Amino acid sequence: MSNPQDNSAELMSAYLDDALAPGESAAVEEMLAASPEAREELEDLRKLVQLVAGLGTVEAPRDFYEKLARKLRRRQAFESNQGLLAMLTMPFQVLCIVVILTVAAMYMMAQLEAAPQSIERDPQATETQQVDPADEGPRPVVP
Amino acid sequence: MRASVGTGEAIDPPSADAEPATPEPAGTPDAEAGESTGNPLDAQDVRDRRLVRRARNGDERAFEELVGHYQHRIFGLTLRMIGNRQEAEDLAQEVFITVHRALATYRGDGRFYTWLYRIATNTCKNRIKYLRGRNFHRSVPVEDSPEAQADNGGPVVALQSHVAGPEATVEGARLEAAIAAELAQLDPEHRLLIVLRDVQGMSYQDILRITGLQEGTLKSRLHRARLALKERLRPYMR
Repeated sequence: MSNPQDNSAELMSAYLDDALAPGESAAVEEMLAASPEAREELEDLRKLVQLVAGLGTVEAPRDFYEKLARKLRRRQAFESNQGLLAMLTMPFQVLCIVVILTVAAMYMMAQLEAAPQSIERDPQATETQQVDPADEGPRPVVP
Repeated sequence: MRASVGTGEAIDPPSADAEPATPEPAGTPDAEAGESTGNPLDAQDVRDRRLVRRARNGDERAFEELVGHYQHRIFGLTLRMIGNRQEAEDLAQEVFITVHRALATYRGDGRFYTWLYRIATNTCKNRIKYLRGRNFHRSVPVEDSPEAQADNGGPVVALQSHVAGPEATVEGARLEAAIAAELAQLDPEHRLLIVLRDVQGMSYQDILRITGLQEGTLKSRLHRARLALKERLRPYMR
């Protein structure tokens, strides 16, 4: 179960910023009245907030927009070039894929046609036939 | 684009907040007086919407004007978050490039600058993750650390140093550098809240819209962030 004092302590920053509902503010004020440590903490926080708020304002470089515009133009040019390049190279890409697929298909067909011949020419199979014709295995299927 | 490399989190340009715009004059970006309702925030929002509409129609001048209005604040945010000027400039430019791309999808049912800040904070978080992955460490000059100053017998700058003159100016600059350095060492979530609230002076409502946090979470997290920074700055506070 959360300690109500802890909750009030967590609200201390919001109290400092005047961002609490009246009920919450009353709880924090009650805690502040009862605790010198809490008052000290609040004072430290107040100093901290002032200190951080005092950080100098930062200005973007003078040529910020020029650089941004250049970057934007480069990106837009790159993106449109990408599109154009894709359109121009599309027929070549399709052609390459067709060529690769054709070559692969031809190679596979050539391999399939060559397969029975290589079985017939297998020297071990020939040797086996010569040494012991009685033990010969199943004859190779001749198409 | 470095912000999107090696990080899981998308920049995700938000489609703007659906909450009603509650005017809060304190701590909002360069509020502009005048225009229809007389409320500076309304005037600023009206101006932004007009510029966004023109920029969406391809008017580069309108985009330039938008950048001109927010570049210092966004650069300030990225610098305080990253702690390195060159990196911060690059990051701020990435923010505006993302905005430029996302303008077409911006629905405009929330304030432009909260949408811009949400993009900026997401971009910062992504870049911090990316830089951590690449072991990027912000270099803190040794002479700026309070321990180093104490060791050298030099002055540990008191917070209440109000002595006029060149010495005070030098001390002030050194103190500012030290605060910025300690701020850059905080946890990024804590750092973001300190920068938005204490450095940029935003209202709680705006911070809630930008970060998407619950109100209670924001209050307690901001308090913890301030305690963490106070602890780091203890050597300077006496």
